[in-house]
Amino acid sequence: MADQDLDQMLRRMAQTKVSRRGFLWASGLSASAAVLAACGPGSSSSASPAATTAPSVSAGTGGSASASPSAAAAVEVEKDLFMYNWGDYVDPENIEAFKQQFGVETFTYDTYASNEEMMAKFQGGAKGQWDLVAPTAEFVPAMVEQGFIQKIDWSKIPNAKYIEAPFKGLWWDPKDEYQLPKDWGTTGISVRTKVVKEEVKTWKQFFEVAPKYSGRIVIVDSPGDVFVAPLKALGYSLNSVDPTELGKARELLMGLAPHVLALDSDQYNTKIETEEAVLGLTWTGGILELRDKPETADVQYYIPEDGTLFWLDTWAIPAEPPHPEAAHAFLNFIQEPEVQAKETMTNQYATCNSEAKKFIDPAMLNDPAIFVPDDVLAKLEGAQDVSTDPLRLQIWEEFKSNIG
Amino acid sequence: MASLTEAAPAPAGADRPRRSFRSGALTALLLAPASLWYLLLLVAPLGIIVLFSFGERGKNGGYAGGFTLDNYAGALERNGPFVTSLLMAFGGTILCLLLALPLAYFIATRGGSKKSLLIVLLVVPFWTSFLIRTYAWLTILGPEGIAGFIGDATGNPSFRILGTPFAILLGVVYGYLPLMIFPIYVTMERMDRTLMEASKDLGAGRWATFRQITLPITLPGLITGSILVFIPLMGEYVVPAILGYSRVFLIGNQLVLQFLEARDWPQGAAKAVVLILIMLVSIIFYIWFSNRGRKVREVSVL
Amino acid sequence: MSATTRTVDAPAGTTTRARVRKGRSRPAGDRYAGLVEGWLRSHTLLVYAFLYIPIIVVVVFSFNGTTRRVTQWDGFSLRWYASVLADKTIQGFLFNSFFVAIWTAVISSIFGTMAALGLQRAPKWFQRPFEALTFVSIIVPEIVIALATLVFFSTSFDILNPIFGLKLAKGYHTIIAAHAIFNISLVMLLVRARLSGMDRTHVEASYDLYGTPWRTFWQITFPQLIPAIVAGFLLSFTFSFDDYVITTFVNGQGTTTLPLYVFSTIRKGVTPATNAVAAIMLLITLTILVVGQLVVARNARRTGSRGRDATMASMLAEQSA
Repeated sequence: MADQDLDQMLRRMAQTKVSRRGFLWASGLSASAAVLAACGPGSSSSASPAATTAPSVSAGTGGSASASPSAAAAVEVEKDLFMYNWGDYVDPENIEAFKQQFGVETFTYDTYASNEEMMAKFQGGAKGQWDLVAPTAEFVPAMVEQGFIQKIDWSKIPNAKYIEAPFKGLWWDPKDEYQLPKDWGTTGISVRTKVVKEEVKTWKQFFEVAPKYSGRIVIVDSPGDVFVAPLKALGYSLNSVDPTELGKARELLMGLAPHVLALDSDQYNTKIETEEAVLGLTWTGGILELRDKPETADVQYYIPEDGTLFWLDTWAIPAEPPHPEAAHAFLNFIQEPEVQAKETMTNQYATCNSEAKKFIDPAMLNDPAIFVPDDVLAKLEGAQDVSTDPLRLQIWEEFKSNIG
Repeated sequence: MASLTEAAPAPAGADRPRRSFRSGALTALLLAPASLWYLLLLVAPLGIIVLFSFGERGKNGGYAGGFTLDNYAGALERNGPFVTSLLMAFGGTILCLLLALPLAYFIATRGGSKKSLLIVLLVVPFWTSFLIRTYAWLTILGPEGIAGFIGDATGNPSFRILGTPFAILLGVVYGYLPLMIFPIYVTMERMDRTLMEASKDLGAGRWATFRQITLPITLPGLITGSILVFIPLMGEYVVPAILGYSRVFLIGNQLVLQFLEARDWPQGAAKAVVLILIMLVSIIFYIWFSNRGRKVREVSVL
Repeated sequence: MSATTRTVDAPAGTTTRARVRKGRSRPAGDRYAGLVEGWLRSHTLLVYAFLYIPIIVVVVFSFNGTTRRVTQWDGFSLRWYASVLADKTIQGFLFNSFFVAIWTAVISSIFGTMAALGLQRAPKWFQRPFEALTFVSIIVPEIVIALATLVFFSTSFDILNPIFGLKLAKGYHTIIAAHAIFNISLVMLLVRARLSGMDRTHVEASYDLYGTPWRTFWQITFPQLIPAIVAGFLLSFTFSFDDYVITTFVNGQGTTTLPLYVFSTIRKGVTPATNAVAAIMLLITLTILVVGQLVVARNARRTGSRGRDATMASMLAEQSA
C-alpha cells in the first residue's frame, strides 16, 4: 500500500514538474519580451542608451535656437559628449541644436542631485568619465586642488567675452582658468503676504516674526544657505568661522528651530503653495511661478536688505575628458547670446552673459528677484567653502536635531 | 555534519573516500560564487572602510592616510540619532510584523495559482519609482488630501499628518512590508497541513493550534523577516526626510552629513564600523536567543 | 483554514478519494471558522489597498495635463504618455533599470540558492563567519558600502588597467555586482528559512528507491524550494530596480537608471512624465502576470494536476490515511 502511494506520488510529482517548468518558462519568455518591448524603438542598440534628459516632444526638430556658427566650429569635434550635470539643467532644444550644428551623435547626460554627491563621486574616482560638469562655484577650488578639473582653453571659447565683469576674478577662480559661469541666483525670504501681514524684508525681521508663525516655516536643507540668515541678521559675513560670531548665530538658530515645519530643498514651493508654510528661507525655484499665478499672487520673494548669499553655478571640464574638443565647443555654443537667452528663460535663473540679455523677455529682465538691480547686487556676498568647518557642522547638526 | 551515507544504505559500488571527496567538492562548488562575491564586493569594501576609520581627513575631504584613533572617540559622541533610529526601527518592525502575519497566512492557505498571483501582486507596486510613490503619499496625506479632509471635518485647519512620527512609520512600513511578508510566507507555505489537522483532531482550539504548531514552525521566517526589516530600517533616512519633513535626525542623516557634507570619510567610516559591530552583536544575540530550546536540525537536504 | 484539505469527517481507515477543494472547509464544531476567515480576508484586502493607493494616485496623476508640478490637477491629458513614448532618453533610463535589475535578480537567485544549499554542508568553521558576512551585508548602511565599493572599483581599475592593458571602467557590471551583494544574502536567507526544519524523510525515501543525489535534488528538494527562490528573485529585482544610493556612486557614464533620473529632477519638479513611465511599467507587469496566469491555468487543464506548486506536505495531505 505504501509503495503504491509512493508510486502515485512520484508519478504525480513528475507531472507537476512539467507544468511548473512550463509556467517558469512562459513567464521567463514573457518577461524577456517585456524587457525588449520596454527598450523602445532603437534605443537598445548603443552602449550608452541614456542621452538627453528631460522629456522633449520636440526632440529632433533642432535648430530652433538659430545659433550662428562661431570660429570654434571649424575645429574637428568628436562625435560624442558626456555631460554630468544637475537634472533638467540644460534646455533640451539647445542640446539638439548643438548636436546638429557640430555633428555630435551621442550626447549622454548623467545626473547628480547635489554638489556633495558630485564631489563624492570624484573623490571615489571618476577620471576620464565625463567631459563637462557643473559645480557650484564654491566647490571649484577644492576640485582644482584635488586635480578633478582642468584648465579651460579660452582660445576655443571666444564667446566667453560676453561674461560680465562682476563674475570674473572672484575668489574661487582668481585667474578665471577653471570655470565658465553658467547662471546665478540668490537665497532669500519667501512670504505669503496674505497671511503674514508684517514686513519681512530683512533677516532680522525674519527671526523676529518667526515665533508668531510657529510650525509654518520652511527652510532649505542646506547649511551654507541656512547660516546666511543669522549671520547676516547679526551683521557678520555669511562665511564666518569665528567662534564668537558662530556662537551668537547658534543662539538665533536654536531659537528658530522649534518653529520650523520642515527642512526641505525640493518641495518648499509646494508647501508654500498649499499654505502649509507661510514663511520660508528659500531659493527662487518654483516661487516665482507661484507669484505669477492668480491664485497665489500674494507669494513674494524678497532679497533681504541686510544682505544675503548669491550663488553661482559654473561649467567646468573634468580632468582627462574623453572628448575635449566637443567639451570646448559646447561651452562656446552655450554662451552664444541667443542660446544662452533660451537657457535663461527655460531655467529661470539669471545669466552672466551681457549679450544674451538682448534676447531675453523684458518682463524677466525687470524682475528684481531674478535680475537683481546693481545696488542690491553690491550687497550680495559669494559663498565660500566653509561647509566643513567643525563648529559649523556641529551647530548644523544641533539645529537639525532640534527641528520641530 | 550528517552526510547521506549515514542515513541510507550506500548504493552498491560507491566508495566512501570518493564520496566524501565529491561531497566536499560539491560543497565548495556551491559556495564558491557567493563566497567570491562576498570577498570582492563585501570584504574588500569593508576593509577599505576599516582602513579609512583609522585615517585622517584630507584637506579637502576624503581619506588621506595616517593612523589615529580619534575617529572612534568621536564616533561615540552625539548619540541622539542612534536612539531615534532605534525607536523608528522597532516601531516599524513591529508594525510590519502585525500586518504581515495574517497576510502571509492568508496567502499561504490559498490555492496554487492564486498564491503566486497574490505574491507577485505584493511587489508590483514597488516596480514604480520609489520617489514617485513617496510623493504620492505626500499628496494623499497632505493638506490637499486626508489631512485636509480631517482638518475640515474637525474644524482644525492646521491639522497635519505629514511631518509626524505617524507619517514616518506609515512610510517605512509601506516600503519594508514585502521584506517581512516574504520570509514568513515561505515558511508558512511549507508547513505541513496535516499537523494542524492532527492538532484539531486532538481537540486543540484555534489559538492553541496557532501558538503551538504554526508559530514555532514559522519562527525561522519571523526571525528572518524581523532582521531584514529592522536592520535596514536603522539606516533609513530618505522616507523620514520626505514624509517626516526632516524633523527627525537619524543615524542615516548623520552618516550622510559626515560623508557628503563634512566630507570627513574617516569619521563617517568610524561611525559606520561602530554601528555595524553593534548591530552584528545584536543580531547574533537575537538569533541565539530565539533558537535556544529549539532543536535546529541543520541537516543537509542535498 | 487551509484551503487544500480533505474532509475531516470521513471515517478513519477508509480510502476516501482525495479531494482538493478550494475555498472554506467546514470542520464540524468550528464555530469561528467563518469569522476568522472573514477577518483574514478583510485584513488582506486592507493591506493590498494600502499598497495600491499610492499607485492609483500615481496613475491618476499621469493623466494630469499640467506642465510642471505633478500634484496640481490641470485637466485630463495624454500628453505625458505621448512625450514618454517619443522620448528615447527616458526609455533608455527605463531599459537601464530593467537590465540591471533582471541580471541582479538572476545572479542573486542562483548564487544565493547555491550558497544556502552549500552552507548546510559546510563545516562549522566556515559556516559561522559566512553567516556573519551575510548579516553584515544587510547591516552596512547603503551610503557607506556605496562609497567604499566605489573606491574599491576605482582603485582596482586604476591598478589593473595599466598592468593588463585593459580598459575596465564602471558601468552596468559594477552596478549589478554591487546590487547583488545585498540580494545574494536576501535569497540565501529566504532559502535557508525554507530549508530549516525541512523534512528529510522524502530525501531518504528517494535514496531507498535508488534515486541518485542529482535526481533526488531536482525532483524532491528543489520543488520545495521554489517558492523561496521565486520570492527571492522578485525581491531582488524590486530592490535593484528601485535602488538609488548604491547606483549613484558605482555607476559609470551613460548608465543612469530611472531612480537617478527622478531624483535629479526633484529640484525642478517631478513632472507627470515619470508618472506615465510608472504607469506604463505597471501595465507591462500586470500584462505579464495575466499572461502567466492564463498559461498556468491552461497547463493545469492539460496535465490534469492541481495545485501548481504543491508541496510535499500538501501532496501527502491529498493521500488517504
